[in-house]
Amino acid sequence: MSLHGLPVDLQRSRLTGGLIVVKLATPRSMSELRRLAGTGRLIAGGTDLLVQMRDGRVEAHLIDISNIMDAPPAVNFDDGVVELSALAPISRIVDELDGRLPGVASSARLFGSLQIRNRSTIGGNLANASPAADMIPPLVAAEAVVVIERPAGSRTVPIGEFATGPARTVLESDEWLTIVRVPLPPGEEGFLKLGGRSAMAISIVSLAWRWVRSSDGTLIGVRLTLGAVAPTVVRAPAAEAALEGRQPSEAVVAEAVDALRAGISPIDDVRGSAWYRQQVAGDLLRQALAS
Amino acid sequence: MKINGREVTPPDRAQRLLDYLRDVVELTGAKEGCGMGECGACTVLVDGDPVCACLVLVGQIEESDVVTVEGLVEDGRLHPVQQAFVDHHASQCGFCTPGFVVSVAALLTREPQPDEWDVREALEGNLCRCTGYQSIFNAVVSLVD
Repeated sequence: MSLHGLPVDLQRSRLTGGLIVVKLATPRSMSELRRLAGTGRLIAGGTDLLVQMRDGRVEAHLIDISNIMDAPPAVNFDDGVVELSALAPISRIVDELDGRLPGVASSARLFGSLQIRNRSTIGGNLANASPAADMIPPLVAAEAVVVIERPAGSRTVPIGEFATGPARTVLESDEWLTIVRVPLPPGEEGFLKLGGRSAMAISIVSLAWRWVRSSDGTLIGVRLTLGAVAPTVVRAPAAEAALEGRQPSEAVVAEAVDALRAGISPIDDVRGSAWYRQQVAGDLLRQALAS
Repeated sequence: MKINGREVTPPDRAQRLLDYLRDVVELTGAKEGCGMGECGACTVLVDGDPVCACLVLVGQIEESDVVTVEGLVEDGRLHPVQQAFVDHHASQCGFCTPGFVVSVAALLTREPQPDEWDVREALEGNLCRCTGYQSIFNAVVSLVD
């Protein structure tokens, strides 16, 4: 008997944790990767893909992109822009950010567990395009740009346009991510998430923000993004408008919180009800404004 | 690839590190708890960093140094972390223990004088359903001045 058309010797019992992989290619350079691109499924840290494969997903040909010697450095500071490698383990990015991009750094520190951060990558988190992906909200609030490579060249995409739905992105089968360009914040940025516990918890709701607080407390350049309340990470334009150019008095905060809750239509799932997500999203904004 | 200092060549590059360790090399210290990176029972060191052996394919780490809980023993004597776990009754059913020991050994190599937050962060990827964690925490703290 053969499963999914694969030879019998490649079938291992799921109970013993076996995966069905026919071939694993391990390019060591970008030029090798260019030649292989499009011939298989890319695997970086594998912390999502190998779990999906254990649950029965079949990938006949994997291309490992965790050993590319000429991959970009984990973090590169370049004239007002921080370039984050899409291929570096998230733990290395946390170490090398060294206090800059505090919103990105706090989502990275809260990501998975140490074991997961030592393998997982920003590129993988973006490409999996989970609505609850923790690395995405602070990058969308920062209006980051994603650099996509393909055999014939490269292109850039604003991060807000990268994911098109749960597990769906603009990435073509022969393309891969190399760098995320993040402008340094002109003022404050931050990230808060609510999960069942602090480690290894998929976000019930997450909130990222950027704003500049002028000397009289007026907020300008307000950017708010929410995770786990829509098919992709979303901005909250009504709540941004409620705060823009105003001092966050009690009345203004209440108005922004109401606008944030009214602007989202989350779903009920095992982690929380739609009502709960709406309430908590507002509470996170209140907490962010008080921080 | 090196495992506990010994050069090896895995026959199946697409095998999970955990299966290779347990079924081929016959090092059964690392355990499969969840197979999804949630429980940390399969934690081993890859180039000094704790990772879940259930979420790595051996072909991805062919140039790496892997250390399992068995590799922490020197000259047949328990590693200080193992001894502290014994002394503080930090193990009950024992299934999670190898993973915890490896995580703690990595922490103390990285940061010999961790604060409470460092310890809790180092243990965040390891689940224990018996001890309630306090005895494990106490064992780690006993190794810090």
